Amino acid sequence: MFVPSITNPIGDFVRDIVPRLAEYLPASIQSDTLNSIVAFLVNALICVIAVCAVNIGSAPILIYMERKVCAHVQCRLGPMRLGWHGTIQTIADVLKMLFKEVYAPSGADKLMFYLAPLIVLIAPFIVCALIPFGRNLVVADVSMGIPLIIAVNGFGVLGILLGGWSSNNKYSLLGALRSGAQMISYEISFAMILLFVVMISGSTNLMSITMGQEGTILDWWIFKIPVLGFIAFILFFISSTAEMNRAPFDIAEAEQELTGGYHTEYNGTPFAMFYLAEYIALVTNSALAVTCFLGGFLPPCIGIAAVDNYLNMVPGVIWFFAKVYFMIWCYMMVRWTFVRPRVDQLMDFEWKFLLPVNLVLLVAGAAYIVVFN
Amino acid sequence: MGIVNFAPKILDPIPGGKYVVNAIDYVVNWARANSIWPLTYGTSCCAIEMMSSSMARYDIARFGSEVFRSSPRQADLFILAGTITRRMAPAIQMLWEQIPGPKYVIAMGACTISGGPFIYDNYSVVRGAQNLIPVDVFVPGCPPRPEALFHGLLTLREKILKETCRSPWHEGEPKDVSTMDRYREAANTWAALERMKDEEMAEARAKFKEENPDYKSTFKPVRLKKEDFPEVERVPFKRLGLTQVELFEKLRAKFPKVTVHTHSEDPIETVVASMPADRPLEVMVEPEEYLSIVEFVKNDPEFKMNYLIDVTAIDYDDHFDMVTQLRSLNIGHKIFLCVQLKKDFSIDEEKRATSLLASVPSISHLYPAAEFKEREVYDMFGINFEGHPDLRRIFLDKDFVGFPLRKDFTHPEMIRRPV
Amino acid sequence: MSQLPPGFRITRETNTDEFFINMGPQHPSTHGALRLTLRMDGETIIELVPHFGYIHRGMEKQAESMTYLQYIALSDRQDYLTAIQNNLGVVIALEKGMNVGVPEKAEYIRVMLQELGRIASHLVFFGCFGGDLGGQTCLLFGFKEREMIHDILEEVTGSRLTTNFFRPGGSRYDVPDTFIPRVKDFLDHLEDSMRDYERFLSKNIIVQERSIGIGVLSKEDAIAYGCSGPVLRASGVEFDVRRANPYSIYDQFDFDIPTAKNGDCYDRYNVRIAEIHESMKILRQCIDKFPKEGAWRSKEKPVRLPVGRYYSEIETAKGLYATYVVAATTGDKPYRIHTRGPSFPHIGALNKMCQGHKISDLVTIMATLDPVIPEIDR
Repeated sequence: MFVPSITNPIGDFVRDIVPRLAEYLPASIQSDTLNSIVAFLVNALICVIAVCAVNIGSAPILIYMERKVCAHVQCRLGPMRLGWHGTIQTIADVLKMLFKEVYAPSGADKLMFYLAPLIVLIAPFIVCALIPFGRNLVVADVSMGIPLIIAVNGFGVLGILLGGWSSNNKYSLLGALRSGAQMISYEISFAMILLFVVMISGSTNLMSITMGQEGTILDWWIFKIPVLGFIAFILFFISSTAEMNRAPFDIAEAEQELTGGYHTEYNGTPFAMFYLAEYIALVTNSALAVTCFLGGFLPPCIGIAAVDNYLNMVPGVIWFFAKVYFMIWCYMMVRWTFVRPRVDQLMDFEWKFLLPVNLVLLVAGAAYIVVFN
Repeated sequence: MGIVNFAPKILDPIPGGKYVVNAIDYVVNWARANSIWPLTYGTSCCAIEMMSSSMARYDIARFGSEVFRSSPRQADLFILAGTITRRMAPAIQMLWEQIPGPKYVIAMGACTISGGPFIYDNYSVVRGAQNLIPVDVFVPGCPPRPEALFHGLLTLREKILKETCRSPWHEGEPKDVSTMDRYREAANTWAALERMKDEEMAEARAKFKEENPDYKSTFKPVRLKKEDFPEVERVPFKRLGLTQVELFEKLRAKFPKVTVHTHSEDPIETVVASMPADRPLEVMVEPEEYLSIVEFVKNDPEFKMNYLIDVTAIDYDDHFDMVTQLRSLNIGHKIFLCVQLKKDFSIDEEKRATSLLASVPSISHLYPAAEFKEREVYDMFGINFEGHPDLRRIFLDKDFVGFPLRKDFTHPEMIRRPV
Repeated sequence: MSQLPPGFRITRETNTDEFFINMGPQHPSTHGALRLTLRMDGETIIELVPHFGYIHRGMEKQAESMTYLQYIALSDRQDYLTAIQNNLGVVIALEKGMNVGVPEKAEYIRVMLQELGRIASHLVFFGCFGGDLGGQTCLLFGFKEREMIHDILEEVTGSRLTTNFFRPGGSRYDVPDTFIPRVKDFLDHLEDSMRDYERFLSKNIIVQERSIGIGVLSKEDAIAYGCSGPVLRASGVEFDVRRANPYSIYDQFDFDIPTAKNGDCYDRYNVRIAEIHESMKILRQCIDKFPKEGAWRSKEKPVRLPVGRYYSEIETAKGLYATYVVAATTGDKPYRIHTRGPSFPHIGALNKMCQGHKISDLVTIMATLDPVIPEIDR
């Protein structure tokens, strides 16, 4: 049976303490089945809280970070008035959006209209559950981690398509169709690069992918295979940017063309959910990049024992989030630097450049493994 | 209606509940006042200053308002930047209705407050945004500087902080109208101080008058002497291409009926010869010959008028002067063809203001640029263009009554400029 | 489709699913209150019809009851990005009527403010071009240097945007002593930043992909549709009023007229960037030759025009700006003033340029035409 748990020590601790607490209950209702079910539920609850905390807690930080990065790229200051250097600006934004009036446009398919933002949120939450945040910190350590991520990532496009279609607005529909075509295309190269990682690491389990990179910084998958690893990392960066609908590949929103694309008609809380989903996807994609290429929660050891000892003293989860935020910063810098390609150029880029390069990369990786191992 | 507006209905009857409502009020108002997202909207000059205010120098982001949303459904604040015309008014009302509550409006610039420079003799400008939608803050200026807009934003913030969910934005007035009261209070205090000073001084003044009955002030205002500037001769630039005389003679050789408009008794040749060098030649053309002359000057290798500058018209009592301004890009000379179109007075007097009074062949097949220009003349003067592919009103609504640039045009909303 | 809405003309045999999109009057990339109706086949534009008049303020009707001097203030509000240039267009027409000359120093002030205005307008173009392509950062960069020009304008004219500065025979005030050093500083600063900005946008592969070959306007079409300014020059016509029909003292300066061959969006962008450099060249020459002494305006005369029709044309940043003044009686009020703005014919050519392109290209084309809607509607 699949047991959700933050493996050890918390999961074991719960499994250990539940029977002990059950002893205080009347003897008539004590049973091992009940104990295991309760332990299961408590563990599940802890997992859900942990995932939500990571995801929803990071969204305001990221929005604040985005506004500050954007401002400094553009020679501005960004939010300054609320809290120290505007630190609690996003809290005000979120609160305000929660208390805004919510309505659907006339002619909209109400059920689908309100369902779409929820569906968009599913994918990043599930992916987040699979990511190992530390040596003992993983919600679901499933053996088919990578295939599950590839499968789950398709959910996002479903929500966007539904949202765009149900809004009864031509701009929304155009944006949704654009994003549908875009995300399904880039899904392929996204999956291909993950396959490359699976191939070189020899495992589909995210934990063992991470552990395979143990050693010095040169053992990370980005550096371990010369050149190929780095190319794969760049390709992953590009296709995950497209996968997340982030600028410069934000043709689905395309404020200058479609006034907001699929979320043109959304307001208040549903819009906040779309907004949230965008940033949670940013966390999960960065986490995936970190896990697959940058050594996950492993410290960047350099092979000198004196230094490495100090690096190893820092908990893995801190290394993990440091790397994730570095990745996020990269995504943000790209967003505020480049201009947006046209929709047909974007598809050309995927089908005529990215996919062939991916296939070549797979073959080259296979050849490398055969020759050097 | 936001969910927060149910709070007083449920909590107020409960003992102590009103403190909870007050706390909710405080938090919600704090959030709303500090996160005001404006709508990307702008029609004219003020829009540029609104853009400037979000740019690096002024940076509206400091107040948390840099998230300009282009969809009204995600915006809180409607900055009315720029003149509102009657044609734009329905769009503005629609935009305002699409913004979910609570929504706020800042009227930026003189045009949106009162019509600004466009109050008098105007048939198309709405005199003040408050005639269309409720406005929270007015920011005067033409256009207001970005700092003024920020002051407007902070004033709005003050107003929002005084709201309460007991009487939400769509049901009643906010608790008190803050700033205006404060200003009025300050003005009253000031006036009282002045009055007090005046009373104190009255006695001293009377005493002074008693002591010096024939005192006369020796004060004389100092006037700066106006600088004296020399008179400068204007030197007209030499024109390129053919001179006016050559142009006129060549045109006359082909079309003997063309003349030049003049009030003097001199023969036409002398009038043309005495024109300043930089004035374009303006010839009077018969309406029947108009099309063939345009064709001639366009295709003739000596004229080669391949560029249409403009088509416009002037309204006189009994005729229109339609002026077609042509230029040769290769050679550099210009020629203005002025067609005198007699008004059709066979139409009833009461119908005259709303009907087309003259007709002239269209030249849009020769110059594609003329298509929109002729539509403009049709819209403004009511001149019919025969053979125009798409003769519709261009600047005004299709149900607009009358032709504004005629001298006898009247409009119910027009205010004459006081002389 | 049996009945097309008014304005659409192309008849098609194939029975594909066409649909119509309404763009504007409130849309982030129509540069103001312009409304476009697009007839689309998927993402491809079949044809479009522009609808004007959302900011038609009846300036020409108002001008009939205004004095000439009051109209100068109104001309600021037409093309607010080049307000200082519009002032000069009106003033030159009045000078022709009044037969007033301008002293040398005043001419230098005019030329310098003209070129500063041109740079300011082109910087806004630079920003909006990048912004409309999706690079929001460009927008900020364009406006950053523009603020410095506004500082100079504010010091000289007293106003940031609507300057209302020139008068027949000169200007309202003399320039302050700090004017020349400030312009010099600004030029040095701009030279550095333009190098960065060009590297940021001109060499960017995505920008090139999105603008080369997009919205091609052939030489013949550009002339036929009455385009002017950078749009005409990008199509290969070397026409600049400053050369073709000089006004003020533009014949005394050494500057080039940048032209390009293809007439696509990238060429229009490049022509504008080259024009910034040409303007800087003119400004440097002005700084060298600027007369320290001398009258800054001619003898003040009442602004009364004799009966007649007066015409002036100048080259604003957008193109040919012509003013046509009709005085039916000798006096201080016009019988009619008509303004020919450069943006109006450009929007006329928009339909021709957009056909067969994608909706994203429309945004690029609109950005490179750089229209100002209040100047079209007046």
